[in-house]
Amino acid sequence: MPGMGWVIGVVAVVVVIASYVTWTAGRVDRLHLRAASAGRALDSQLVRRAAAAAVLAETELAGDPAGADLYAAARAALDAREDDREASENDLTRMLRKQALDPQEPNGAAVIAASRRVALARQMHTDLVRAALGARERPLVRLLRLNRKHTRPAYFDIDDPTLSVG
Amino acid sequence: MRIGIVCPYSMDVPGGVQFHVRDLAETLIAMGHEVSVLAPADDDQPLPPYVVAAGRAVPVPYNGSVARLNFGPISAARTRRWLHQGDFDVLHVHEPLTPSLSLLAVMSARGPVVATFHTAMTRSRALAAGAPVARVVLERITGRIAVSELARRVQVEHLDGGAVEIPNGVSVAHFADAEPLPGWPGECRPGYGGTVGFLGRFTEPRKGFDILARALAEVMPRRPGLRLLLAGPGDLDEVDLPPVVAERTTFLGKVSEEDKARMLRSVDLYIAPNTGGESFGMILTEAMAAGAPVVATDLDAFRRVLDGGRAGALFPNGDAASLGEAVTALLDDGERRRELAEHAERVVAAYDWPVVAARVLEVYNSAIEALGETVSGADPPAQW
Repeated sequence: MPGMGWVIGVVAVVVVIASYVTWTAGRVDRLHLRAASAGRALDSQLVRRAAAAAVLAETELAGDPAGADLYAAARAALDAREDDREASENDLTRMLRKQALDPQEPNGAAVIAASRRVALARQMHTDLVRAALGARERPLVRLLRLNRKHTRPAYFDIDDPTLSVG
Repeated sequence: MRIGIVCPYSMDVPGGVQFHVRDLAETLIAMGHEVSVLAPADDDQPLPPYVVAAGRAVPVPYNGSVARLNFGPISAARTRRWLHQGDFDVLHVHEPLTPSLSLLAVMSARGPVVATFHTAMTRSRALAAGAPVARVVLERITGRIAVSELARRVQVEHLDGGAVEIPNGVSVAHFADAEPLPGWPGECRPGYGGTVGFLGRFTEPRKGFDILARALAEVMPRRPGLRLLLAGPGDLDEVDLPPVVAERTTFLGKVSEEDKARMLRSVDLYIAPNTGGESFGMILTEAMAAGAPVVATDLDAFRRVLDGGRAGALFPNGDAASLGEAVTALLDDGERRRELAEHAERVVAAYDWPVVAARVLEVYNSAIEALGETVSGADPPAQW
């Protein structure tokens, strides 16, 4: 029966295409979920940094005008609306850069450590957003609209928050 | 924390990546973490208790040298079993773009994966094979670590992503507490004596041993008692030593880790005349930990480790005459040598393994938080 070979061939091709589409759909879902999760982790690290900066302003820098400025910047970062969050976080980074932080002093050390964690969280978020955006752009994904469940992830564009010490 | 680490190369073959994995694992265990290392090894091979054997390694020519790797169905099955049984919070792979256990582990794990890139190779096969392959691997990696600025730049420029730079660690106490070899370094006073050291593959041109030999050929006739303490794999006959230098050289051959520390404790000056190709300069941190004042080429990587020249003297790349002058000046000036060693001691504290491991743990925690989950082994059998 010459027809049998055709049937097997067509079925095989369909199976391969279907698995590839399933795999791709899973990949798109996973990358979007991860980008969203990394965004939440970055948010919580930013909150921790602002809180550590506020503590530093109220303790080590109490009575110092620079402390009042730092406290205001930390408050502004905590209260910022979504559309000016990036600018507020950059202001806080600039304020922190002006301070000579002492890594031996607990409140200063907390700010330095929190800033490093923000840098890590931001880098991971950026990498995951890039991967998700890359997956969205694939022709198969666009053709089958595999990304329709997910909103387009956005980068969180802030200056490198790492503080130099010493 | 439960940490799974994958080493792509056999633990019984000495190498930078293997030492790094061993020291990191032992430091993390000492800090109270549970660590399991998956590495290529035969089942009957004696292994440290924290190492799990993934089967025999096959020698494969790779990137200009022979790497012992494993890559196949048996290794893949063992990797999956290890991931499943390990129930890790985080998976840490080394050199994940080489066709190796690291790559297998990345492809069969889900959850937070941290990857360390050691070499600054820009023409690796995985990169040449095309970005799509690399991308499928890289998008499964949550946090990337580069051990040097150069390795970090490769990430940014060729692999389209950031990486945090965390340097190679050094076990400062291991070097600082080593006993000098009997009879070394000997007398060193203005105009007389002193011991300079060189450790490494002296037959390899980029290590710059010939520059040191030429410098010493200039200095030695003017300075009686100056000796060279040389160690490293290779045969002394393969290098063309000027007679005056040959006469005053003590060659130790290839040294163990133990003797390496003792050798570095036995010199008045450690010389690193490398002409390039160094992305980090592990030997510099080791010499600094041993308290040996360092004279090194002004390569970017070396300048960074030596704190811009404050923790060791720098000389222009390839310039034997300048090296000779720097050696003479420093051997005449015990005060200056002490200053360099003291500053180096402060600088190298940042490279001590407990400090470095704490920074690696920050990356682990960030990766776990970024994904909000831990590692699970069972990705459905590879459909890719």
